[in-house]
Amino acid sequence: MEGFTLFDTVVLIGYISLIAWIGSRFGKDQHNPEDYFLGGRKIPGWAIGLSVMATQASAITFIGAPGWGFEGGLERLVTFINVPLAMLVLILVLVPIFHRAGIYSIYELLERRFGSATRTLTALLFLIARGLATGVVLYAPALVLAVVTGWSVNLTIIIMAVLAISYTVMGGISAVIWTDVVQMFVLWLGALLSILFLVTSLPGGWSDVFSFGAASGMFNAIDLSLDPSVTYSLWAGLLGGFFLHVAYFGTDQSQIQRVLSSPSVLDAQRSLLIGGYLLIPQMLLFLFIGVILATYYQQHGLTPPENLNELLPRYVVSAFPSGMAGLVIAGVFAAAMSSLDSALNSLSAVTVRDFYSRYIKPNASDAHYLKASRMATVFWGLYATLFAFFAGNLGPVIEAVNQIGSWFYGALLGTFLLAILSHRSNARGAMAGLVAGMLSVWAVSSLLDISWLYNNTVGVAISMSVGYLVSLTAPAPSQDQLSDVIMAEAAPDMQAVLAARADNAEVIGKEARLTRRRCIGLFAWFCLMLGMLALLQGWANG
Amino acid sequence: MAERLTLFRQIDEDAAKKRLQRLGAKACEPAWVSLWAAALGLPNGTPGAWLLYAQEMRRALLLVGTELPAQPTTINTELRIESGLPPSPEVLNRLWLWERMATPRHWRIQVLDSAPTSIWLPCWLGYHRGRHHRLTVISGLSGEPLPMLKPIVLEGLQQAYWNEQVSTSSERRRKAV
Repeated sequence: MEGFTLFDTVVLIGYISLIAWIGSRFGKDQHNPEDYFLGGRKIPGWAIGLSVMATQASAITFIGAPGWGFEGGLERLVTFINVPLAMLVLILVLVPIFHRAGIYSIYELLERRFGSATRTLTALLFLIARGLATGVVLYAPALVLAVVTGWSVNLTIIIMAVLAISYTVMGGISAVIWTDVVQMFVLWLGALLSILFLVTSLPGGWSDVFSFGAASGMFNAIDLSLDPSVTYSLWAGLLGGFFLHVAYFGTDQSQIQRVLSSPSVLDAQRSLLIGGYLLIPQMLLFLFIGVILATYYQQHGLTPPENLNELLPRYVVSAFPSGMAGLVIAGVFAAAMSSLDSALNSLSAVTVRDFYSRYIKPNASDAHYLKASRMATVFWGLYATLFAFFAGNLGPVIEAVNQIGSWFYGALLGTFLLAILSHRSNARGAMAGLVAGMLSVWAVSSLLDISWLYNNTVGVAISMSVGYLVSLTAPAPSQDQLSDVIMAEAAPDMQAVLAARADNAEVIGKEARLTRRRCIGLFAWFCLMLGMLALLQGWANG
Repeated sequence: MAERLTLFRQIDEDAAKKRLQRLGAKACEPAWVSLWAAALGLPNGTPGAWLLYAQEMRRALLLVGTELPAQPTTINTELRIESGLPPSPEVLNRLWLWERMATPRHWRIQVLDSAPTSIWLPCWLGYHRGRHHRLTVISGLSGEPLPMLKPIVLEGLQQAYWNEQVSTSSERRRKAV
């Protein structure tokens, strides 16, 4: 075992310097908040898509997923099997409305539809949930990195925080996206190298992995049990995980901000398509590393570490040639920082757009808001760093942070769907639905023994039903309030008029059928993935 | 009635296409909408901005500048949409009140005591083809989306469509005779 050598350290520092250089390059062209938060809407869709992927492949994927694979094989893949369907709904329903509204923070849409109280409440909930989670995002990988490199936890926290804060402050969303693109490739390279070294270290190679995985039931990804307490059943993945991902990708500012920064709706769709196609294979890749590691540990009669998050980093440091280990550990840094930078940028966006510019300093200049945005990024970076320092002593708090997120997202998605789908709903109903949705998730998760994947489904269903019913007790919203979500031109005679004019008008952009083809493609991809998992499971069980 | 003033189209076709594409449009065309412009300024002062409005608008448009940016050429082939007679002073005052309430720093500014000017506002219309056809109106001066103009534009498009249908059928009838 070589451990983390000096050469590894040099590679890691080289990588960190590269990221810092890329991030700082984007600071030169920032003149106003639109440049800072939305990259002047000039960033190509493929880069945004890879950035969304990098954020999703946070440290929990790189560090946690091999541990999940080691423990339970491919069973957790059902949590992600619904992602193509979730992206399909986002492409068809949410993204066109968010993009057309010309907003920086998605909570602005709720204000236009339901008034300022709804916007303030949802933005505040986002700041609480995402602010606390950002501390955990920083702490979890820092702990693992400290174990494998031998550095102190506080040092790894500070390195990641200072780096991510610096390039996010300097370069805004452009820096976040372009550094994420680099980090995405480092992450995949690290994962592929790990697979290569692991498989070649086994005497029988892939056949050892497949025979061990089949014998120990690790390829049983599809559980058709109808029992709602089974955490990773197919139904929990399809029904629960679907709403989880629509909520996560559609109503979390840290995710949707990248979509808002696309130059057009088509580019915004493309960024989601990349996630829709690649998230399942990516998760499969990391879970498979866990299965290969399980084979390796079984063949060598090794005892796994108590914290399974350390599994892959420990293997990398012990088995990889010097320098290569540094690169893979850089991948862990990449995973953590790509999640951290997006969170900081979105927290800053919501702080400035939803609070500072409304309550503290309205009507200030663009330059002033840009400065305020950078200050907010530093503030949230320091907040996350401080929280990460103390997170080690606050075990149950980390669990509570995840709980807050799951209470919040379902109800928030329900409120957005209410705003878009029900033209009768109003501010009173939206507030009542939001609160009832959160309370119901809390009640269901504390009182009933059902899979946590259903939390968001419960939140959506209750917030929409309560929201609609309470709305009936107050007057319907005005046409102005509906203007962002309703199509005034939907009358049949008007449709004929618009069709005739559109036929004679000059064509711009690409053909309209593209969206439909993209959605069909995503659905086919979902069926293909599910079919392949079923085949693998069928083969494993003889 | 004084001749209608044609405002200068500052957003060209390429810029309009880019903006409309970002808003999801698949086809576009230029158009002109007739509006009324009332001068705004401090009491007894010169105009500092203009309130553009029409009877059908729920919210008026604000155009900053001491003079309206007029162009000398007249409109030939592009679509023209009429918004009707000038609204009463009460309607104008109410529209301006909403704007002042929305932005308190406008509170001291008043509608100056002069006759409203009739103008042609340049716009770009974007058409979206999806499950429903949709319309987006953006300003030909700034490129900003103008949702408040949609009722007027939709009505104008409907009127143009009917006129076209009537002229086509009378043409056919004439040929048949």
